Amino acid sequence: MILLLSALYNNVFYFASVVLFVIGFYTMLVRSNLIKKLIGLNVMETGVFLLFVSLGYVEGGLPPIVDHTNDVVYVNPLPTALILTGIVVAVSVTAFSLALCVKLYRYYGTLDADEIMQRRSAPK
Amino acid sequence: MSSLLDTFGVLSVFFWNAPVLVVLVLWAAACLTSLLPSKGTWLPGGLALAAHFLALLLTGYLAWAVLSYGEIRYALGGWLAPWGIEFLVTRLSVFMLITIFSVSTLIVVYSLADLPHDVETRLLGGYYTLYLLLVGSLAGLCVTNDLFNMFVLMEVAAIGACGIIAAKGGPECTEASLKYMILSCLGTAGILLATALLYKLTGHLNIDYIAAGMNTAVEHYPINSMVALALFSVGYIIKAALFPLHVWLPDAHSSAPSPSSAVLSGLVIKVYAVLYLRILVQVYSPEVFRIVPVNELILVLASISIIVGSLYAMAQTDIKRMLAYSSIAQIGYVFLGIGLMHPTGLTGGLLHIFNHAMMKSMLFLSAGAVIYCTGIRTIKDMKGIGLQMPLAMSAFTIGAMAMVGIPATNGFISKLYLAMGTLEAGRPVYLGVILMSSLLNGVYYLPIAIGAFFGQQDPESWPVERRDCTRLPLRMAVPIVILAGGCLFFGIFPRHMLVLIEGTVAIIFP
Repeated sequence: MILLLSALYNNVFYFASVVLFVIGFYTMLVRSNLIKKLIGLNVMETGVFLLFVSLGYVEGGLPPIVDHTNDVVYVNPLPTALILTGIVVAVSVTAFSLALCVKLYRYYGTLDADEIMQRRSAPK
Repeated sequence: MSSLLDTFGVLSVFFWNAPVLVVLVLWAAACLTSLLPSKGTWLPGGLALAAHFLALLLTGYLAWAVLSYGEIRYALGGWLAPWGIEFLVTRLSVFMLITIFSVSTLIVVYSLADLPHDVETRLLGGYYTLYLLLVGSLAGLCVTNDLFNMFVLMEVAAIGACGIIAAKGGPECTEASLKYMILSCLGTAGILLATALLYKLTGHLNIDYIAAGMNTAVEHYPINSMVALALFSVGYIIKAALFPLHVWLPDAHSSAPSPSSAVLSGLVIKVYAVLYLRILVQVYSPEVFRIVPVNELILVLASISIIVGSLYAMAQTDIKRMLAYSSIAQIGYVFLGIGLMHPTGLTGGLLHIFNHAMMKSMLFLSAGAVIYCTGIRTIKDMKGIGLQMPLAMSAFTIGAMAMVGIPATNGFISKLYLAMGTLEAGRPVYLGVILMSSLLNGVYYLPIAIGAFFGQQDPESWPVERRDCTRLPLRMAVPIVILAGGCLFFGIFPRHMLVLIEGTVAIIFP
C-alpha cells in the first residue's frame, strides 16, 4: 500500500494526465451531446499536454535563459515549445468542429448525436 | 552572364531545399488560393494545378537524387537532428511522394470540371485551400523523421480532409465530416500520448534517435513501451480505417464530392498505413513482436477487414458507398502485407498502395463522371449506361478487373506478391483469405461492369433530377483515361515501381 502510494506520489503527473485522458475519452464516447463530446476531446488533449510539459520540468530548475554560470539547472524548454504548437493545433481542430456543430444545428435543430442518427435513419 | 549565374544559383537553392519545398510549395499555394477571387474564374484551380506540377518536378528530382546518391537528410531551419526537426527522404518516401503527386495532380485536373457542380462557386477557392493543405501535409508525413512533427502534420491533414468532405454542404456531409473529425482526433490524441511516453523513455523525438534508445527502454520499462505501442496501434488503425475502427469511412468517403472521395480513399488512408509500418519496424524492432505479437493482431484484423469490407460492399445500393466499403477491404491487403513481416509479402502490400491508389481514384472518378452526366447514383439504375458513357464505363470495367486481380492489370501483380508472401512466410491460411476476397470482389464489381454494357435501361426508375449530358468534359475524361492506362501499364510492366519498393524492403529485412 505504502509502495503504491509512494509510486503514485512520484508519478503524480503521469497519474493526473492519464486520469484526465480517461475522463475525456469517456465523455467523448458516452455523451451524446456533440458539444460535450468536443469538451471531452479537449480534456483528453489537455491530459496529454500536461504529461508532455511535465516531462521537461526539473525540480528546482530555472528558466532556460543562459547566462554562462555553470552550476545552474535549467528546465527543458523543448516540451513546452512543442505543446505551444499542440495547443494551437487543438484550438484549430476545436474551432473547425464547432463550426460543423453550428451547421448541423441549422440542419437538424438539435445537437444530440442519437437524435440526429434517428432522424437520418427515419424514412422520409 | 551574371543573370545566368543568378538563375543557376536560385535553381540550385530550389533543389537543395527540395525535401521541404515539396511541402511548402503546396502550402504556399494553399494560402494564395484562399485570397484569390473564386467566383467564375479558373484561378484557384489553376494555381492548385501549377503547385502540383512544381511538386511533381521536385519529386522527380528527389527520386533521382535518392536513387543515385542514397537517402537525403534535411535539417529544418538549420537546427541539426537531435534538437531540430529532421526531414529524411528515403526510397519509401520517394515511392509515397510519387504515388501522392501523380494521382493527386490528375484529381485536380478532374476537379476543375466536376467541382463547380458539387460545391458552391464562392467556396471553390476555399476548397482548393483545404485540398492543398491536405496533400501538402500528406507529403510532409512521408518525409518527416520527427514524431511530434508527424502529429502536427496529421492534425493539419485531418482538418484538410474533413474540410473537403464538408465543402459540399448538406446534412450528410456535415455529419460525416464531424464524425471523421472526432474519431480522427481520438486517434491523434492516442498517438500523441504514445509520443510523450517514448519521449519520456528515450529523451528524443527523432525516429532514428528513439530507435537507438529503444532497446534499453524496452528492457527497463517494458510496460511503458508496450503501452506506447498499443496507443500507436489504435491511433493508426483508426486513421487507416482497419476493420473494427472503420466506422467513419463509409459515410465520409461516399457523401463527399467525387474528387474528395478519390483523394481520401486513394491516398489518405494509405499514408497512415505506411506511418504505422515505420513505427513498427523503425522505432520498435522485430524483437518486440516476440513479447507482444502485434503482427499477429494486424494479420487477424486485416483478414476480417478484407472479408467484412467486401461483404458490406455487396450489400450497398449506392455506387460510391460500395466503393467506400471496398476501400476498407483493400486497406486490409496493405495491412496484410505489413503483418506478414516477410519481404515478399511486404513488397506486395506496399505495391498495393500505389496500385490501389490508381484503381480506386479512377473508380471514384468514373463513378463521379456518371453522376456528373446523368445524376444516377444507385447501382441498379446503371444498367445499360455503358452505351451512353462508353469511356467512363470502360475505365470502370478496367478498374473492376484490377480490383478482382485479373492478369494484365496492376491489381494482379500486388495480389500475386501478397499470395507468394503468405506461402513463403508459411501462413497458407491467409492465401485463402486473399483468394476468397478476390472472388467476393468479382461478385460485386463485375455485375456492374456487365450490366452497364449488356443490361437493359429502365427509364422509369431514373432520378427526377436526371441530367442529360451529351459528352464528358475533356478535363474529366483525360484523368480517367490516364489512370486506366496506368492500371494496365503497371500490370504489364511493374518493374518501375518494384525498384523503389525492393530497395525499401531490403533495408527493412536485411
